[in-house]
Amino acid sequence: MTTPLTLTADQRPDGTAVIRAAGEIDMSNTEALAGALDTTPGRLVIDLTAVEYLDSAGLSVLFAHADRIELIAPELLTPVLTTSGLADLAPVHASGTGPYNAASRD
Amino acid sequence: MDAGQEPAGGPAAGVFAGDEEVGRDLAAVDWESTPLGPPADWPQSLQTAVDILLSSRFPMWMAWGRELTFFCNAAYRRDTLGDKYPWALGRPSSQVWAEAWDAAGSRIETVLRTGEATWDEALLLFLERSGYPEESYHTFSYSPLRDDSGDVVGMLCVVSEETERVVNERRMATLRDLGSDPSVIRTEQEVLAFTGRQLGRNPRDLPFSLTYLFQEDGSARLANATGLAAGHPAAPAVLPADGPGGVWPAAEPARGGSALIELAGAPFAELPCGDWAEPPVRALAVPLLRQGAAPYGFLVAGLNRYRPLDAGYRGFVELTAGHIAAGVAGARSYEAQQRRAEELAELDRAKTAFFSNISHEFRTPLTLIMSPLQELRERYDGGDERVRQELDVVHRNGLRLGKLVNTLLDFSRIEAGRMQAAYEPADLAAVTAELASVFRSAVERAGLEFAVDCPPLGREVYLDRGLWEKVVLNLLSNALKFTFEGAIRVTTRADGGEAVVVVEDTGIGVAADEMPRLFERFHRIENARSRSNEGSGIGLALVRELVEVHGGTIAADSTAGAGTRFTIRLPFGAGHLPADALVERAEAGAPSVAADPYVQEALRWLPGEPPADAPRDVRPDGTGGTSSGPAAAARVLVADDNADMREYLVRLLRGAGYRTRAVRDGQEALDAIRKDAPDLVVSDVMMPRLDGLALVAALRADPRTAAVPVLLLSARAGQEASIEGLTAGADDYLVKPFAAAELLARVRANVELARLRGHHARWRTALVDSLQEAFFVCDEQGAVVEINSAFTDILGFGPEDLPYAPVHPWWPDAETDPDAHRQVAEAFALLMGSERGSYTIPVTHRDGHRVWVGATFAQAEDPDSGRTVTVGTFRDVTAEHYAIQRDSALASLTVRLAEAADLPEALAGALSELKGLWRAAGVVAAVFDGTGAAPRLTATDLSPSWQGLPPALRERLEALREEPSLTPVAGQTGAGILLEHPQGRLALWLDLGERRPFTDEDRLLLALLAGHLAQALARVHQIEQQRETALALQRAILGPARLPEGFAVRYEPASRPLEVGGDWYDTVALPDGRIGIVVGDCVGRGLEAATVMGQLRSACRALLIQDADPARTLMALDHFAAGVPGAVCSTVFCGVLDPETGRLVYSSAGHPPGILTHPDGTTRLLDQGRSIPLAVRLGQPRPYGECTVPARATLMLYTDGLVERRRRPLTAGINQASEAVQEGRDTAVDTLATDVMARLAPAGGYDDDVALLLYRHPAPLELSFPAESGQLAPVRRALRGWLDKCDLPPQTAQNILVAAGEACANAIEHGHRHAPGQPVWLRAEASVGSLHLTVADSGRWRTPTPEASVHRGRGVILMRAMMQQVTITPGPAGTTVDMHTRIA
Repeated sequence: MTTPLTLTADQRPDGTAVIRAAGEIDMSNTEALAGALDTTPGRLVIDLTAVEYLDSAGLSVLFAHADRIELIAPELLTPVLTTSGLADLAPVHASGTGPYNAASRD
Repeated sequence: MDAGQEPAGGPAAGVFAGDEEVGRDLAAVDWESTPLGPPADWPQSLQTAVDILLSSRFPMWMAWGRELTFFCNAAYRRDTLGDKYPWALGRPSSQVWAEAWDAAGSRIETVLRTGEATWDEALLLFLERSGYPEESYHTFSYSPLRDDSGDVVGMLCVVSEETERVVNERRMATLRDLGSDPSVIRTEQEVLAFTGRQLGRNPRDLPFSLTYLFQEDGSARLANATGLAAGHPAAPAVLPADGPGGVWPAAEPARGGSALIELAGAPFAELPCGDWAEPPVRALAVPLLRQGAAPYGFLVAGLNRYRPLDAGYRGFVELTAGHIAAGVAGARSYEAQQRRAEELAELDRAKTAFFSNISHEFRTPLTLIMSPLQELRERYDGGDERVRQELDVVHRNGLRLGKLVNTLLDFSRIEAGRMQAAYEPADLAAVTAELASVFRSAVERAGLEFAVDCPPLGREVYLDRGLWEKVVLNLLSNALKFTFEGAIRVTTRADGGEAVVVVEDTGIGVAADEMPRLFERFHRIENARSRSNEGSGIGLALVRELVEVHGGTIAADSTAGAGTRFTIRLPFGAGHLPADALVERAEAGAPSVAADPYVQEALRWLPGEPPADAPRDVRPDGTGGTSSGPAAAARVLVADDNADMREYLVRLLRGAGYRTRAVRDGQEALDAIRKDAPDLVVSDVMMPRLDGLALVAALRADPRTAAVPVLLLSARAGQEASIEGLTAGADDYLVKPFAAAELLARVRANVELARLRGHHARWRTALVDSLQEAFFVCDEQGAVVEINSAFTDILGFGPEDLPYAPVHPWWPDAETDPDAHRQVAEAFALLMGSERGSYTIPVTHRDGHRVWVGATFAQAEDPDSGRTVTVGTFRDVTAEHYAIQRDSALASLTVRLAEAADLPEALAGALSELKGLWRAAGVVAAVFDGTGAAPRLTATDLSPSWQGLPPALRERLEALREEPSLTPVAGQTGAGILLEHPQGRLALWLDLGERRPFTDEDRLLLALLAGHLAQALARVHQIEQQRETALALQRAILGPARLPEGFAVRYEPASRPLEVGGDWYDTVALPDGRIGIVVGDCVGRGLEAATVMGQLRSACRALLIQDADPARTLMALDHFAAGVPGAVCSTVFCGVLDPETGRLVYSSAGHPPGILTHPDGTTRLLDQGRSIPLAVRLGQPRPYGECTVPARATLMLYTDGLVERRRRPLTAGINQASEAVQEGRDTAVDTLATDVMARLAPAGGYDDDVALLLYRHPAPLELSFPAESGQLAPVRRALRGWLDKCDLPPQTAQNILVAAGEACANAIEHGHRHAPGQPVWLRAEASVGSLHLTVADSGRWRTPTPEASVHRGRGVILMRAMMQQVTITPGPAGTTVDMHTRIA
């Protein structure tokens, strides 16, 4: 049994690939996340707005792609992203603001 | 679940879904063959009832339908049904409970008929659930079950089993009764009779009991039996030492083990049944253990066949045996102490009798009787025959009395160490033969042969002549007294370096059983045939003392009817005697007058008076009985340096009938006069050293001699010389040469004049000397200038060294005994500064021993000199002083011991008493428990270890162990004693410092106090054991509480007197997941209150399970309490808490309000829903209150003992309790409970018993899950839910969630590697301000390495970032991560 996680692939109007995650990310389902990232080449926006939990296993997957991703994250996840140093390597936008926020994705 | 074996689905499958295992077995029942038919066809009401039944965690069973078909749930199966499962399912209830159907059937019938529930409290049922009929107690209620149409068709029974409580209470009652003997000290027989009565009152646990005590030969004697009549074959009066033939195996208990006996065979054919239908089949023999020795005996307990012999039952029998053993120990120890105390008292009595009988002051009156008597006898000699005979009677008895007084005085001297013997070299054989010859005439007149065989020994023996006379005379007198025919033989021999004197007779002899006491003081052999019944019983005792004074020994051997032989052995030479007591050989003289009384007395025993004309009292000097001189010969002292002149004067004066002594100069004269003043002094003026004039001046200056008349003789003629002499104070003056007639005329005139003049002075002297108190006169400087003979007797200082200037020689030494010295100095200041007064002081006898004297003094004017003098008396109060000291020491020790709550306190108190009493530098006590382990120490000054003691002290304490108990041992620097201690033998040492004497009085006192202490220790120990038993049992009734998480409870009995009480707490897990909370307080204390408490607690519990409504529960409890004696007016707080939401519904029956402490520190009292105490008004509705326990708030419930104090409003106590909870905001709730109890306890402990219950919301979260990553999400869900209950800000909660998640992920990784599938534990607990999280696994912690596992390392970083404190403890059994963060 793995932790429920929904990954939806999308594309921004400018062609940037977007992966929207919903649920919780922990060591039981990082393979799914890693698979999705591996199969999506190029610049990539990962929208974590609907993610309620992200642990170090999930962070490891994101670190592997840190040089080509941008993150949209809710305030709740900020301490994790900051503490781990990921926020120093990849741009992080607060959910509901900025050019990649959820409201503008349509 | 294994779906393959499941019967067809449909509604029936759901009916049994409430419990997996019982459900499966129910589903397997062939329901078609029961009146209920297939489950699919069951009415909804039955389905619902079964569902409720199976879902409940509380023991329940139900019966439904025509045959009352049986259902039960898992809890009932576990607790009650036992082996009957699953056979019982689906069967008629009457079959299932055939053995209890009498009781159960009628109740069920009532429920079905009336539709009303029944209630039974602690009903005794015999259940065959474990393969035998088992005594069990159940509190249960049968309530009606209705079918879909509302008719009663079955019943539901909610049961709570109370076997353990009921059985425990019963055993506790017996143990309490055993320990509740009001008389602390009894004989062994009384102890056993008492314990027997108590055991007999519990025929359920002890259908019969036998108490056997081991005897010296190893056999065992029946000391008590209960349940079995005397003479029953199973209760033989004596069991043989060992081996076959004994009904009970005595060997195993004798070794300290216990034995289980199957009661099969002839002696056990007709055993009593106790309270039961069938007799016991097994019995348990347990030893009556004795500390450090073989058991006293053993207890055989017939066992209740309806209860298993589990640890509790065995423990009960052993505790019972322990009580009996303690009782026997106490009684035996008491008897031993009693014997010892009686011996000491007897010794004391003998001493007191002795001292009171001494009456040394008899001597003076005796002298005043005997000398006039002598004159009378002389005057009437040849006169009136009748008067003369009567005077002879008086004279003989006077002699006898004098002899008795002298003997007693000898004892007194020996006793006080004042015997001052003077040993001179002597020919023992000659001296003894001479003494024996004095008795010859008496012996021969008695018709006995008298053989004296005393050849010279060749060597000298050192003797005190006076004392040796007494030895020989006493033995001869004794021999004559008890010999009626045959011979008395006296022999002396040399034998192996010793002189041997044997005195033997052919008399009546001494019976063998009297021999040991032959030399005992005041011991007289009763009914012995003797020549006289007179006798004080001290002659032989004195003989032995006197022989010992000579360094010799005396032995007696005797054959009754054949004779007695006394053998004295004395060493030759003087090597064994103190050098300063040796004197030169004096002139050998005839036996002194001391022999006279012995012979006179012996003659009186013989038939026939001595001839009336026989000469009596012949004077050795041959002057005869008549005299031409003065009627009463006056004593004259002649002082002259010229020998011719001296002899002339003596001849002249003696010729005139004066008793005359002569000395060579004035100094000798002065010394002689001070010792014994004569009637007249005739002195030359010109003499060496001290001349006549100076002599007169010295005599006149001394009040004791001021009145002695002096006639001066001088060669100097002339008026001036005469005037000079008379001015100096001489009474007359004669110039040499003088005519003999003139001298005699002057002497006669002066003697007569002085007699007239000195009448008053002599009367005074006689009076003073006859005083039994020491008399003294002090001059203005404090010098003692006059004393009487009692003074010398008491203090040892005689008149020859007068005056005694201060500091007086009897003052205690200022260096070695500063306290006593100071006391005397203060008393002396009082004496010098006051007109009159009295005081009691310690003084030192001339020989060094301590004497206590009571002094009285008054100032007076000397009529002669006009000077102020102080006249005083000393009374010897030594015996009184020590008696008072003993009494007060005993009294204060008793007070100290009574105050002590336990053994260490009692011992410490006693040591400090002893230290104060002897002003010891320190007192140390070591208890040797007989195991060889280092003894446990108690000391007055520090608490040293055994190894830390000085080696010399360790040796002393070790050596004391070898001594008989209660026998003081004194050393150079202190004294010690051994006594019994409940845990072994106690060696006690008083460190008295250097050179402090430890007298006989001290020994007696120490022995008495130690005896008293031993008894008190035994008593304290017994009380302590009773207290421990009581506490253990009370806690057993309250527990073992399967306490839900988040709760903490405490119970503390009242401390003084320590007693069980009626307070209780309880938590009840209710079927719907809520928790019932009860805290109550029954009126009163003791076993009765505890029993009421037990009943109320059980009832309230059962009622809450049935109906989780606090107000209705209390109303039902009102009715219940009305029927229980002693339950009325109990107060109860009853609440129902939802641990999910914190919602609390409660009702209070007169109970103090609960206290709710919010996280911000504010408190709220749960003062809603209050009403009157239980059962005061029946049927009156009770209100209820509601509140919500907020997150991280603490709820406190308690009984009034926690907060109620005398002279203080209740609110003050409640405030104090609230403060204690507030301060413990960050403490775990269990620690908080301990803190609250400690903080509110009064200085001397709680006056009343206290129950306390704390709950902090939410309860800690505890999870256990397999180490699989799929578990992470459910664990997070549970943790998130719990964090919600803690009411934390979202980001804080998220941080904690992340940290916990990382720790769990790590644990899972370890698990994968080292122990796949092993569980991981998580525990989270919140206090007001902090949150504590623990994750533990069974794997090994993996040290993160950067390259291999970057993300695990990241996990640790995250944990440390999210929590304030992270501790990772790897261990062989697993890794524990401990995290902590502030949350407010």
